[in-house]
Amino acid sequence: MARHRHSEARSRRIALILFAACAVIAIPALVILFSIAKKPASPWFGQYDPDAHPAYNFALTDHNGKTLRLQDLRGQAVLLCFGFTRCPNICPTTLGNLAAVYRKLPPAAQERTKVVFISVDERDSPASLKEYVPFFNERFLGLTGSPTDIGTTARAYGAFFRKAPAAGSDKDDYLIDHSTYTHLIDPEGNFRVLYRFEQLPETDRIADDIQRVLGMPVPENQR
Amino acid sequence: MRGRLHSPRAEHGKNLYSLRATRHAEPMNRILCLLFLSASVLFAGDLKIEDAWIRAVPPSSKATAAFMTIVNDTDVPVLITGGSCPVAQEIRPMITTKQGNGVMGMALAETFVIPAKGRRVLEPGGDHLMLMKLTEVPKTGSTVSLVLTTESGGVKSHIHLDAPVR
Repeated sequence: MARHRHSEARSRRIALILFAACAVIAIPALVILFSIAKKPASPWFGQYDPDAHPAYNFALTDHNGKTLRLQDLRGQAVLLCFGFTRCPNICPTTLGNLAAVYRKLPPAAQERTKVVFISVDERDSPASLKEYVPFFNERFLGLTGSPTDIGTTARAYGAFFRKAPAAGSDKDDYLIDHSTYTHLIDPEGNFRVLYRFEQLPETDRIADDIQRVLGMPVPENQR
Repeated sequence: MRGRLHSPRAEHGKNLYSLRATRHAEPMNRILCLLFLSASVLFAGDLKIEDAWIRAVPPSSKATAAFMTIVNDTDVPVLITGGSCPVAQEIRPMITTKQGNGVMGMALAETFVIPAKGRRVLEPGGDHLMLMKLTEVPKTGSTVSLVLTTESGGVKSHIHLDAPVR
């Protein structure tokens, strides 16, 4: 009889422990689930900056030898990235993807979109950029400038670059490690969306973001 | 042409080249191999190259990249150590480095190791074979013949393949 009571108490204790364990797991899980459900899904594909920080108004030389300031592009959405023309893999991938994004835009949005490639390589010149950047799309612009201007611009855009060892036998043929983010700047010159290199193949969704930044309707049936 | 089989054939809509490498073992290597390695290793080099292509780059470019999937059906690891082609002075295995905060770069790899019964994918934004010091920038739509240098069990071999430019 005493033994029976003992085992009853034990099973009650086990039940209590199980109940407590369930509560410990279930309550935070429910809290997390509710917080996810409540938060509306962001329509933006890239990392969106709701504060719209003004982007640095650089003054650089474009591949036609003309000075270009960011403020010259007011009224346009600007896709901006950093790279160098000797880059055989990352930069062609980035510019190839941005060219695909551009092709997906309706003509009215293309008219109001500028893709800008800023060289972080002092070996690049307007001439070398002119041979390189328009290959991907003739409306894209390559920019260069003095090492100081490029350094200031890169810092202002949170971009990093440094010389890396040459891959081949020629020491002057060195490579450059560099940031691979692409910025989407709105028509007022503010940072709006940031894309990681790995996101760039999602060309449809980036094209949608551009149209959103331009205040153009994005088709309802999409994503 | 002894020991070399080059039979491009279409399979599942892919460009697939079944390749048996030409052996260029030095006499010492050959003796060592005969002594220590099995026949299967001796004839290793049965790498399959799938979906090889070369990136079309602007006419002023000094380098481009070749991408492909390398399949090793053998029981031993195979190394790709480099190669040659008519349009570039050097072909080097390159890995893409990611240093955090979106910074990427490239670094020379001595070799690409294709594990036994494994594969290695070379793709845009990732690892690739870099065609350096281009003597001629390959045009979109053309085909470039590549010879890759492989090594397996100390035996050096070559793989011949054709890669379209796109």
